[in-house]
Amino acid sequence: MYSCFKDKIGEVLLPGDEFSFETDETISLTDTVKAEKVVCGPGLRRNGDQVLVCKSGVLRHKQPNMFWIDSQQRRYVPAKGESVIGIVTAKSGDVFKVDVGGSEQATLSYLAFEGATKRNRPNVQVGDLVFCQFIIANKDMEPELVCIDSAGRANGMGVFGAGGFLFRVSLGLVRRLLAPRSDIISDLEKLLPCELVVGMNGRVWVKAGSVQQTLVVANLLESCENMTAPQRQALFRRVAQGAL
Amino acid sequence: MEECGDTNITLREFGCEQSLLSRPDGSSSFMQGDTSVLAGVYGPAEVKVSKEIYDRATLEVVIQPKVGLSSVRERLQEQSVRETCEAALLASLHPRSSLTLVLQLLHDDGSLLSCYLNAACMALMDAGLPMSCLFCGVTCAVNAEGQIITDPSAAQEKESRALMTFAVESTEHRVIMSSTRGSFSVHELQQCIAVSQKASEKIFQFYRDSVRRRYSKIL
Amino acid sequence: MKDTPLSNCERDFLLKAIEEKKRVDGRQTYDYRNIKITFGTDYGCCFVDLGKTRVMAQVSCELVTPKENRPNEGIMFFNIELSPMASPAFELGRQSELLVKLNRQLERCLRNSKCIDTESLCVVSGEKVWQIRVDVHMLNHDGNLMDAASVAAITALCHFRRPDVGIQGDEVTLYSVEERDPIPLSIYHMPICVSFAFFQQGTYLLVDPCEREERVMDGLLMIAMNKHREICSIQSSGGIMLLKEQVLRCSKIASVKVSEITELITKALENDKKARKEGGRCGFAESMPRERITALKMDETPVEMTDVMERANDIVQRGEAPPQMVPSPVLPAPGMGQVGEGLQNTWGLEEEEEEDDDDEEEEEEEEEEKVTMMEEEPRGKEESRGGDVVVISDSEEEEVVILHPEMTQAAAKNAGSSSGQKGAATSKKKTKK
Repeated sequence: MYSCFKDKIGEVLLPGDEFSFETDETISLTDTVKAEKVVCGPGLRRNGDQVLVCKSGVLRHKQPNMFWIDSQQRRYVPAKGESVIGIVTAKSGDVFKVDVGGSEQATLSYLAFEGATKRNRPNVQVGDLVFCQFIIANKDMEPELVCIDSAGRANGMGVFGAGGFLFRVSLGLVRRLLAPRSDIISDLEKLLPCELVVGMNGRVWVKAGSVQQTLVVANLLESCENMTAPQRQALFRRVAQGAL
Repeated sequence: MEECGDTNITLREFGCEQSLLSRPDGSSSFMQGDTSVLAGVYGPAEVKVSKEIYDRATLEVVIQPKVGLSSVRERLQEQSVRETCEAALLASLHPRSSLTLVLQLLHDDGSLLSCYLNAACMALMDAGLPMSCLFCGVTCAVNAEGQIITDPSAAQEKESRALMTFAVESTEHRVIMSSTRGSFSVHELQQCIAVSQKASEKIFQFYRDSVRRRYSKIL
Repeated sequence: MKDTPLSNCERDFLLKAIEEKKRVDGRQTYDYRNIKITFGTDYGCCFVDLGKTRVMAQVSCELVTPKENRPNEGIMFFNIELSPMASPAFELGRQSELLVKLNRQLERCLRNSKCIDTESLCVVSGEKVWQIRVDVHMLNHDGNLMDAASVAAITALCHFRRPDVGIQGDEVTLYSVEERDPIPLSIYHMPICVSFAFFQQGTYLLVDPCEREERVMDGLLMIAMNKHREICSIQSSGGIMLLKEQVLRCSKIASVKVSEITELITKALENDKKARKEGGRCGFAESMPRERITALKMDETPVEMTDVMERANDIVQRGEAPPQMVPSPVLPAPGMGQVGEGLQNTWGLEEEEEEDDDDEEEEEEEEEEKVTMMEEEPRGKEESRGGDVVVISDSEEEEVVILHPEMTQAAAKNAGSSSGQKGAATSKKKTKK
């Protein structure tokens, strides 16, 4: 069943492309028929017997049976469990309103911080950055964020401290940065030590030794968008030798 | 059955650039000969309560003419483009949100509506909005001798007896929108549709090539 | 749509960077971003890219009657469009503060500076003058829209050619481009606007602020100047107190920037002129960068036509032939025509059981009568027709309109009297109650 998917891994697909599955004509009566399952990720939709591509991008595959379309879009659509960088826009009642770049402002409860109680409220001001994850994110409901994991620990989430710089990149680049053993990150590590927070919503926060270094990292990452690995390495080498 | 004489079936040279503007979520420019259009898409974004639709996204199409304010002509084109986009977009995946498509005319040298449609499709694709299929626009002119001219220039449009623009979708090449002017026979209409469907294959191939080129560095 | 809010983190960082004389895009304090000037296919169309900010200007002209107090002068009209394409914060058709500010500044920069010889735009004194209209469209907002708009507008004006006119007696003839070469406008000088952003109550100053810098700035100073170092307009906004030295320093910087930009504009105009003379293609399509991977171009392509004709023929043949029979028109009354079989209601009325039932039947009879009565009292008939319409509009909710005889509809249309419509409206109310 995957065969039709397998042929296309790494290929560029466009909306409207279809995968259709023809079940075998003959069904053996002796073997138990094992149902094959395919997990369709972003950009793929089931439509009756077919799977329909609905975004343009590259078909990716992850063992054993996950397929999705890797696209370079810029607008973020909240998804449950994803970690994002939000900007607090308002305090209302016992929730913060947080802008995450989606179609709706997300809510973040005062109590969804590590160690927060009714008395002991977290110190969050309007305009602050928060690193948090979605516990509710679907198309029909208001998205909700928390800054704690299921055990009640901050686990790296919470309000950002002073300093650092925030900038935007495409969602495709964010995924490349967050991929395990990302080449961009490893190249960057060699070049400049810095603190880096990457939100799935395309926002990247960076803090390096000085303002100059922070700006260098920000500009390098922004320029990685449309570069092949050799081009990027050449650029990083030039930076290492040059201005710094 | 009447038979058409010579036909002048070529598409002018066309070009496209995606993601050329920094602010919109998706942008494209599309050129057909000298006709050029710039498109920008925002969305899914916050929607005004008055325009909110509970089970799908609200699509707004704005066409900006080059000189002066938009008139009835632009309103009509906006409507044609909006209906075409609505047919292709899976708007139910982003309920209570707004999609804004802004089309800016850069130069009009005929086949404008089809150029709007093509620019719109590329911009929607660039924005990564979920679509059930792609669409493209093809304009056919029928001149006084009954010849069919695809992708006519402004001069050819002026001389033509009838002008038809079709939006063709990519999966089965069906017509999802048509806009016609002038008089023509049923036979001519069918011929123009058939020609448009053929021509759409070229355009879809072009879409594919340009998207493939765009992703060539992260393959 | 709302713009993305600016976080405290960005604000603090930007201000700190400015204190350290660093800018987000690596520029120096007095640096402009890259300016790129391209032209459209027709005269008077100009695109300006200032970094990522992108602006288009289009000049057009029209013969109009002059203003009474200035019968010998042409009219200049400036219009800035903040297209929602440029930024999600821009709304269509809203007179925002920014729009008013930009429009006013552009007018002061280009109209009040008298850089264009408006007297040469007079065709017949007091009767016909040229109105030159400049439309500036913002396509992408990444800061400093004003400078980009002023460069685009003045370049477009320099590029523009108006059609030649001939005057014979009282008659004004307009020559097309083929008959006589169009005429450029006479421009005395080119005012260009240069913006300075002030931070920390005027302690720091930056030239050509980008969008994020604009968001954290305290004040803005716009100086319009030409290359002869004549200041054409100067405007300070944001309510900061500037010292005399600061303004003078800004004007000095502006003079340098203006001469650079003027040179760029003249060069761009010359290049374009050369390209047009050689008959090469020009315009937006040609300015597309081919080397970018996001861009692709395809040459003129023929469309494969082998089976198109057969297919079309096939479809036409397969398609059901439309009925050749033309229904003969019925003339129920003089001055009234009707086509179709809607004369008599051939449908049963079981569905209309409710309150309408009686009325319906009455109407039924009435209708039949009417056909005969018609000649005697057409007016009365019209009114009663109005009554018919009422029933139709009522039953719309049940979607039984089609079931009715078409005649009532057609006839009502013909009648189209206001009394009928009124009747419809009132009886609608009744049913609502």
